[in-house]
Amino acid sequence: MIRLEKVSRDYGENKVVHALDHVDFEVSRGERVAVMGPSGSGKSTILNLVCGLDDPTAGKVIVDGVNLAALDDDARTRLRREKIGMIFQTFNLLPTMSAIENVSLPLRLNGLSKKEAELRAGAMLERVRLGSRLDHRPDEVSGGERQRIAIARALIFSPPVLLADEPTGNLDSSTGEEILALLDDLHRELNTTMLMVTHNEEAAAHCDRILRLRDGRVVGLTGAALPAGEGR
Amino acid sequence: MLSMLPILVEITWKQWRRHRLRTLLTLLGIALGVSVLFAVRTANLTLLASLNVTIEKLAGKATLQIVGNEGGFPESVWETVKDTPGVYVAQPVIEVLGSTAYEDGGNLMIVGVDMLGDRELREYQFDEEGSEIADPLIALAQPDSILISRTFAERHQLKDGDKLPLYTAHGKKDFIVRGIFKPAGIGEVFDGQIAVMDVFNAQFIFGRGRNIDRIDLMNDKEVTVDELQKRLRERLPAGLDVTRPAARGQGIENAISAMSIGMTVASFIALLVGVFIIFNTFSISVNQRWKEIGILRALGVERGKVQGMFLLEAMLMGVVGSLIGVALGYILAIGAERVMSEIAAKVFSYVATQQPPVFRFDYALTSFVIGVAASVVGAVFPALAASRLNPILALHNIETRQRENVLGKGRIVAGVLLVMLGLGLIRFGPMRVGINFQFSYALLMLLGLIILLPKLSELTARVLRPVMDRLFGSVGVIAVDTMIQAPRRTSATVGALMIGLMFVFSMGAYVRSYQQTVSRWMDRMINSDLLISTSEMARSRTYHFSPELSGRIATLPGVISLENARILFVPYAGDSIGLVSLEMEGWFARVNDVVEDADAGVAREKMIAGDGILASRNFASRYGLKVGDSIRLETPTEPFERPIVGLLEDYTSEKGSIFMDRALYIKFWNDNAVDMIEVNLKPGVDAGTVKREIERLVKGEHRAFVYTNSEYKRWVMNLIDGFFVLNYMQMAIAIIIASLGIINCLLISVSERKRELGVLRAIGGLRSQIGRMIMLEAACIAIVGLVVGALAGILNTYFMVRTAATMIGGFIIPFRFPFEMVLIVLPVVLVISLAAAWWPARKAVRMPVIEAIGYE
Repeated sequence: MIRLEKVSRDYGENKVVHALDHVDFEVSRGERVAVMGPSGSGKSTILNLVCGLDDPTAGKVIVDGVNLAALDDDARTRLRREKIGMIFQTFNLLPTMSAIENVSLPLRLNGLSKKEAELRAGAMLERVRLGSRLDHRPDEVSGGERQRIAIARALIFSPPVLLADEPTGNLDSSTGEEILALLDDLHRELNTTMLMVTHNEEAAAHCDRILRLRDGRVVGLTGAALPAGEGR
Repeated sequence: MLSMLPILVEITWKQWRRHRLRTLLTLLGIALGVSVLFAVRTANLTLLASLNVTIEKLAGKATLQIVGNEGGFPESVWETVKDTPGVYVAQPVIEVLGSTAYEDGGNLMIVGVDMLGDRELREYQFDEEGSEIADPLIALAQPDSILISRTFAERHQLKDGDKLPLYTAHGKKDFIVRGIFKPAGIGEVFDGQIAVMDVFNAQFIFGRGRNIDRIDLMNDKEVTVDELQKRLRERLPAGLDVTRPAARGQGIENAISAMSIGMTVASFIALLVGVFIIFNTFSISVNQRWKEIGILRALGVERGKVQGMFLLEAMLMGVVGSLIGVALGYILAIGAERVMSEIAAKVFSYVATQQPPVFRFDYALTSFVIGVAASVVGAVFPALAASRLNPILALHNIETRQRENVLGKGRIVAGVLLVMLGLGLIRFGPMRVGINFQFSYALLMLLGLIILLPKLSELTARVLRPVMDRLFGSVGVIAVDTMIQAPRRTSATVGALMIGLMFVFSMGAYVRSYQQTVSRWMDRMINSDLLISTSEMARSRTYHFSPELSGRIATLPGVISLENARILFVPYAGDSIGLVSLEMEGWFARVNDVVEDADAGVAREKMIAGDGILASRNFASRYGLKVGDSIRLETPTEPFERPIVGLLEDYTSEKGSIFMDRALYIKFWNDNAVDMIEVNLKPGVDAGTVKREIERLVKGEHRAFVYTNSEYKRWVMNLIDGFFVLNYMQMAIAIIIASLGIINCLLISVSERKRELGVLRAIGGLRSQIGRMIMLEAACIAIVGLVVGALAGILNTYFMVRTAATMIGGFIIPFRFPFEMVLIVLPVVLVISLAAAWWPARKAVRMPVIEAIGYE
């Protein structure tokens, strides 16, 4: 589902920083992979490349059989909209919009009427157990609920790929655990391929494999004890 | 606070450096507001200085001047003055703003002096070279002689002995140039467009009879000026004023006060738009620096100091912006003064001698202080909001930002009450409570509207939503929703636009209402078939026709009758009022139902018999008079006193006017000059044909403007436009400032929403969608601004036609709001907004998403 072939990403002109250095790995459909490593190891760069927000300096990034380098910006954006859901550590919800408006936003950007978009967004919020918070704005709900809104927004198109950047990083441990459990449930239900950047070993344990990075290089790829779909 | 000052200044400086464009646009907003304010005040002052220079140069060494009303006074007064002990020298003067008969026209200031004694008073530096005349002043004894300035001579390539054709009361006459004086002293007046002739020739040539305009005199060394002034006042008849030349400037200042007040008010509006820009900048700056404020608060900076930091920043911005504004205003003043002096010359017949802009430190300081204060006022609420931030929440992410509390019921009630209070005061408030108090009515309404602005913006946006949905689909709806969801941000942008458009609409409405009122008035009063005027401005203060010309016109075939009108300004109760004298019998025969508050038949009889006067309604209201009250005027002969026999609507003067029979006027004022001839034709006679006949008759002889009835009405409308030309310029500046406001607001808005826009891109918003969204949001802001601007315009028009018009013009003008103007302005505002949004939209589209999402 996701394949990185000898991917390098350099930053800067004079003092070049190698964010990624010849990275090779593949994530199968329905598989969940945690990306771990110290700060600056290239974890977020991998996510940015996979969702098409960044371009590799060398190598290929292939998502769902499509080489992203072959797509222009609009095509990548459409791919992101329809095939890739994104969850951020800082939630990245629009502060002036209610939960339902935030979740329906991708649908509306896709041309759906507000009514129809909100009908589907409401159902998705029900699925993340936020049925009673539809009209609340981000500042009116807890951190965990904010992340659930973000998850609902990421999954509104039922994308085959979910990218999560430290989804529990801003949450306390019990709320973090709730979110991970929710992701497990949704994975079981939708069989989404997930790439999750995390510092947290417990969060990583919810994934099938762990990709370890250091200084932009893959230093370990551990196989999962449990088959895909059996989250712990 | 002082101990923290350096670090707070450093933080501010870093913000400015980081947001250079925003800082620049905000500074420009303040600078433009201050510049307009300073330019208008400087231009006003420069104009007065230029007019005063004319007075001074013309007065020469005179220590006192004796002046009457516009019609002048009998030359016999000269004898009395000369015989008064303490008078060293006294010289009669006639001043005429005449016209040359050259192809390109052009005004020429003609001064009539007594050739024998005038050199003791005035400096004439004659060009010796090439002159064959021993003493040009002596040469003036010949009736066709004229002296001209070298500037004028060079302009028209004239030399001694050449002919200079001039329009006189007796038609076109050629004068012989008998001397050319240097562009110094009197030669500097009116930028050198000046000529001198013998005073007694001038009397005849310009139809002054035995009247003169002025006596310039010098006192004996033994007598003080004050003492001589006192002596002369005791000896001279009432109606003549003995004044120091410098004091005459005050009279001019009063005469042009309507123009000055109007422009000063307009310049404050421009500044108000600047205040909105500041408000907007700081509101958004507080939002943008949410986290910074949280950190500062967490580090132990007290609420007061956070507030102080923002106010300090506003003050610094005010200081820099106002300094630029003062400098810019000084340059703008040059242009503004030119326009104003043109209006002064055309409308009031006051001749200015162009002066460089007067730099008054106190004016600069006041404008500077007002600019700084406006900046601080604009930043007060955002600074307060910053100081009230909860540091814990502030340190969180953007999602924690609290809901904008600007739509509360309390605010709406307060806003509505303020608007109602303003309206109530305009409708029922007392008229004589002072200009500043009356302006507060408009300010109350404006304040109410500003408080209501978020709600009004929200309501308008909600109406707009389905339209945008239909036209542009989801992107259009998201654009409107973005506005609805951020009422503070939206209303700050809309506010700048509202103020600018309010000014445009209410000014336009005022001019339109004024034109319609005048048009209705003309339908009742101006119904002769042809009108012949001495000047392109309805009347000239100094150039008139002689009755002989009307005699010749009366004999033309097709003419059934005509009335001669003399229109001038006379002193009354320390001010100057309009006096219209015409042949009442003929006038009453053709006007429609003009007499108010009295029996028209009785009034007519008394007017024809010279037993009364008609007073304009604004005259009666200004001086608290009614039908039956008598008014007393000083005249060159004896005091004039007649009762008011009726009121009428008249727009001759904002100070009020009176009408009387021409015979009565000639008797008391000893003046048979004519300013306008109103010609009535036999039924079926073509006005165009007779017009051409009259033009043939006057061609080459008189400077006369012949109009058919409809041409005259059109021409009056154009005159009104001419009078308001400076206001139109200010309207343009208000629009420019409002546009700056839009650019600034959108730029700030895009910059503030960098993360939001980044998120939109991350979740699948195409670049084109984001760009379109910003453009559509700008369009929505323009439409909302237009709607609230129109609402504010309607309210302000009500203030202008009732309170301001009465205050400045003495008239109550019926309320007319040109709704079509809103439709005309719509595409203009849309284009400006879209143009303003282009750069921010481009910026938003090009924004790197990763950086935007990571933005804190």
